[in-house]
Amino acid sequence: MRRVATNNAFGVLLVLFLALFPMFSSDFRLELMGKFIVFIIFAIAMDLVWGYAGLLSLGHAVFFGLGGYMLAISYSLQNGVPSFMTRFDITEIPTLMKPLQSIPAALLIGLILPSILAGIIGFFIFKSKVSGVYFSLITLALAKLFEMLVVNLQMYTGGFNGLMGLPRFPIFGEPMSLTAYYYMVLIITVLVYLFARWLTNSHFGKILKSIRENESRISFFSYNASNYKIFIFIISGFLSGLAGMLYVPINGFFSPLDVGLNMSTMVILWLAIGGRGTLMGAAVGTLIINWMSNLLSEQYPELWQLFIGVIIVMVVLFFPDGIYGTLKNRFGTYFDSLLNRKIDENMEMEMEKRDYANNLS
Amino acid sequence: MNIAQQIADGISVSGILLLIALGLGITFGVMKVINMAHGELIMIGAYTSYVISTLADLPFIVAMAAAFVVTAIVGALMEVLIIRRLYGRPLETLLATFGISIILQQLVRIIFGPAGKSVSNPFNGALNIGSVYIPYLRLFIVGFAIMLVLITAYVLFRTKFGMLVRTVSQNRSMSDCLGINTPRIDMLTFAFGAGLTGIAGAVLAPLKNVAPTMGMDYLIDSFMTVVLGGVGSLLGTSLGSIVMGEANQLLTVFGGETGAKIIVFLLVIIVIRYKPEGLFKIERR
Repeated sequence: MRRVATNNAFGVLLVLFLALFPMFSSDFRLELMGKFIVFIIFAIAMDLVWGYAGLLSLGHAVFFGLGGYMLAISYSLQNGVPSFMTRFDITEIPTLMKPLQSIPAALLIGLILPSILAGIIGFFIFKSKVSGVYFSLITLALAKLFEMLVVNLQMYTGGFNGLMGLPRFPIFGEPMSLTAYYYMVLIITVLVYLFARWLTNSHFGKILKSIRENESRISFFSYNASNYKIFIFIISGFLSGLAGMLYVPINGFFSPLDVGLNMSTMVILWLAIGGRGTLMGAAVGTLIINWMSNLLSEQYPELWQLFIGVIIVMVVLFFPDGIYGTLKNRFGTYFDSLLNRKIDENMEMEMEKRDYANNLS
Repeated sequence: MNIAQQIADGISVSGILLLIALGLGITFGVMKVINMAHGELIMIGAYTSYVISTLADLPFIVAMAAAFVVTAIVGALMEVLIIRRLYGRPLETLLATFGISIILQQLVRIIFGPAGKSVSNPFNGALNIGSVYIPYLRLFIVGFAIMLVLITAYVLFRTKFGMLVRTVSQNRSMSDCLGINTPRIDMLTFAFGAGLTGIAGAVLAPLKNVAPTMGMDYLIDSFMTVVLGGVGSLLGTSLGSIVMGEANQLLTVFGGETGAKIIVFLLVIIVIRYKPEGLFKIERR
């Protein structure tokens, strides 16, 4: 209970800041902030898998990119056969892509397809003795594989250049203003955050965390760990697909960089630095790293990358909980203890009693 | 398409894979360290070769020796400063070495600039057997890879250092009890693996564009090769690279080079899924 107060206070402040942001920022800044808020969804999706279940996926952008490409292709199909297809003498829209002609259908497919893919990959990997590092290696290969696939299927995906000149901000075919789109993204992100918080605080979330801590022990308690892992992987795939789709209208183009290693490593960076295993850490890390990289990478592009590398090593060695986790552990408990010292004392006594009872039984 | 030519090309690709995977076979196979900066070690080797053989105009063999020394030092530093603190936590190691890979990439970019460099080919010309055409450089790479594997096998199985490496990897605490300086062995093993990787980079430098970002593709290829062949076995790594290399060339019928690579990756993923110990792992006891 004691952590909840700081978490809530901080979360409310953050949302308030983001909600007021359009009033004092230029359109350019607003667009950037919108992008970063979309990234928060992606970071939360990754956090569910890595921070909570302990599965370091090195190819999570596969789901992000799959969702994004569905919507991006759908946009490109709106005015008949797009130019990247006609270049390869395709005069008719391929049968498999017919459903993508309708944008609402594409929105649906962009959510379902990544979930299905996550389910297949999850079933394939977690129903075996493959674990830990090998999972990371498989997902690394998958990310590279998808990147190559997208580049190779040039006639359907636009190849290495990606899909350019996509219309900005139409969701159901109707254009939206930047501010309206920004608020839509913000609301969706808050909903995703609340959903993820509910999920991780539920019984299901507790089992996930115990899988991360000690998988064989939770298996002894007759929980089927692989099913839990598959399920969280599907949810994560779904949310990543959602993030990918929200990213397309605000970015205006979509390229193989968004589907492969580049994006996959970016999200790991945000999470590691922000603090994995806490949802707020995902949000904080994403916003801080992206803003700093945006501000600093123009002036000192080289030093900035170097700095990022050093930060990662430092975080791994000295602050494994990331920025938010470390601050929360250092100061959060202090503030909370001021607020509800009474409750804490009662709780601790409760806990001690319970521990004692457990030891007896 | 000429099948003999395909097989010959496959052999030369196998040689390249064997070279880049050999060092990883030591660091990942023997020490169980997931080194995401492996590709960057190759890159450093390649840049050393560029400095020595192109800028300083010294013979290629000097470049190879220098690459070994430089990357071995980089590897030793990595081990002592960072990896040593993270033993037993593979995912943390992965993350830290990922950070190192960014640092190394960026340092090289700051020193040499982002543009690619080229290293002149020390072996011009090609061998023609019937209709089969093999450039001398590729022939040299295959021969050199085999030689390097034999040297590594000799070091691991016939020298005192190799015996210590195997002892520590099999039972660390027992080695400690017997008075073996395990941290020193760890450092030397990692430096040795890194050095081998550096030589690979130096030898491959004339073949490809030397650029700060060249490491990533090598990284994935080498991990796939080591895992396919069987982690912790030199023979497995060698056989794994032959299978990967030949498959990469022979499957080009399906959708060209990228198509072949996609299929190979899929196959490797399936192999990891069903045989995580690798195709050629020989069970001892």
